[in-house]
Amino acid sequence: MLLRTQQLTKDYGRFRALDALDLELQPGEICGVLGPNGSGKSTALRLLLGFMRPTAGQAWIAGHDCWHDSVHARRHVTYLPGELRLYENMTGRQLISFLGRLRQQSPNGDVERLAKTFDIDIARPLAQLSSGMKRKVALLAVLAPRTPLVILDEPTNTLDPTMRDELMGQLRHARDQGQTVLFSSHVLSEVEQVCDRVAILQQGRLAHVQTMAELREIRRVRARFGGVVGPLPELPGLRSVERHGAEVTFEYAGPLRDLLGWLARQDVLDLKIEPLGLAGIYHRYHGTEA
Amino acid sequence: MILWCRRPACTFQHRAGETPAPQTMTRTLVFKLLRDYRVGLPVVALLLFLFQLLWSVVSKRISTEVLLEFSRRGIDLDMLGNIVFQGPGKIIQSLLGGENIRLDHTQDMLSMAYVHPLTQIILCVWAIGRASGGITGEIDRGTMELLLAQPIRRSQIILAHFIIDVLTIPVLCLSMWAGTCVGAYLVGLTSATDPKLQVHLAAFGPALINVGLLVFAVSGITMLLSATGRFRGRVLGAAVLLALLQFLVNVIGQLWTPMEPLRPCTVFYWYQPQPIILDAQWATRGMIWAGFGVLAAVGAMGYALAWVTFCRRDLPAPL
Repeated sequence: MLLRTQQLTKDYGRFRALDALDLELQPGEICGVLGPNGSGKSTALRLLLGFMRPTAGQAWIAGHDCWHDSVHARRHVTYLPGELRLYENMTGRQLISFLGRLRQQSPNGDVERLAKTFDIDIARPLAQLSSGMKRKVALLAVLAPRTPLVILDEPTNTLDPTMRDELMGQLRHARDQGQTVLFSSHVLSEVEQVCDRVAILQQGRLAHVQTMAELREIRRVRARFGGVVGPLPELPGLRSVERHGAEVTFEYAGPLRDLLGWLARQDVLDLKIEPLGLAGIYHRYHGTEA
Repeated sequence: MILWCRRPACTFQHRAGETPAPQTMTRTLVFKLLRDYRVGLPVVALLLFLFQLLWSVVSKRISTEVLLEFSRRGIDLDMLGNIVFQGPGKIIQSLLGGENIRLDHTQDMLSMAYVHPLTQIILCVWAIGRASGGITGEIDRGTMELLLAQPIRRSQIILAHFIIDVLTIPVLCLSMWAGTCVGAYLVGLTSATDPKLQVHLAAFGPALINVGLLVFAVSGITMLLSATGRFRGRVLGAAVLLALLQFLVNVIGQLWTPMEPLRPCTVFYWYQPQPIILDAQWATRGMIWAGFGVLAAVGAMGYALAWVTFCRRDLPAPL
């Protein structure tokens, strides 16, 4: 196991920003952390980096305690902060070289390759770059060292759609190379697009963890019946959501044949079956789905 | 520990468990900091150099032309010294250290430049400005996260700043000395035959230790404030206020007896380059060595507490 947190908690005064987070990450997976502002995403990531001492609980990266043995833990990690600030008196190349020297890694061919992929001129002073370009430089600095764990805090902020797609591709590539990626985001579509697993935070608590493979199995079924419907069948994976008279909406994660067999025996006037998607899960905890 | 990638196609290996050599990383930080100060350091050094040079010109003029004019007009030099440095003029003595100054001796006049408020201001501006940016500056700019996301110890950042002090303070001290030497040479003091005009430039050398230790002490105090702070502006303000307060307590303590016991609580009380320059036997004076010790201890204590504080504190998120 590459990353593990156990009852990880952080209080800011009386405010509990993160509440007993238990999370485990295996090598070679991409995990997305979702939640609105103030849900504890950045706090969780910053605790992993050893920026703060946990109020309670512990976190380990590759077996190293993230606070007490933070330096060794950070040997395994590269991190892209959400609020990105770079040394403006350096060029992109100088920054990457500086950070590389701190990691005692000499620049490899990946830097030039990624610079070409991201379409950035790393010879330009950072002060002259737009915020999006700076983020690309920072992403390059994060992806080039090829550490076992890559932590990204809202990485697609300020990136254009093309670059977002490119980044998603790079994250998949990193996973294929055996790296683990943990990233926070507000954007459900990008998490859905690239993640193997998703964790949803709600007011500092881990409200939901699910693999995307499982999520893709779940369908939302909306059916309108001609008359009064009795109890729903006891099918494995069926979860009743709501009932409005003759209209029933439920989630189903089992074989369609069983469900359709039951529906065929009912007086169905209208039927809609669609993938539940990440939005369906997310809106259980945060707001309502349109 | 070597972590091999899970996929067979993968050709790289993470030497993640290898402990990086701390010296190399500290050196990298030091070079980066030196690069950051590549403009500020020469500017401050140049200011110190020019002021000392200018003071040499002023000293020569006072010791020769101005005093000659007073003599011609029948004004006794001792009386003049009393007017300038005693009674209503005692504040000048408090600021410039005129206790043992002979106005007609150029060496004495030159020594004033080392305790001149402008010199102390320039030295303190450097120490406070640099040290306040050391930790709080990085936090305030938001670059501390970038730095600490790398596998470096927080103590290495403090150490790097300490090394910067060790490297830059001698540069400032030597630039002061160079200013005195060049100034003395340009106005002909180095070749003067009149004993009153003769200067012994070597006598300024040991005084530079005191100068350097003052900068180190102020830097150490500011580094402590910086290690605890969140906003550079506030740390800067607090450090300036603290330095100003110490300076005033030291000056007022010389003028107003009830405040005198407080003077040893200030770093400026222990800043005594003038007796070192003017007294060939300075090494036998305990007060001088005590000054060295106190200033060094204050600076070292500041850095030590900064180290402890910074290693334990939470790193605030950038705003």
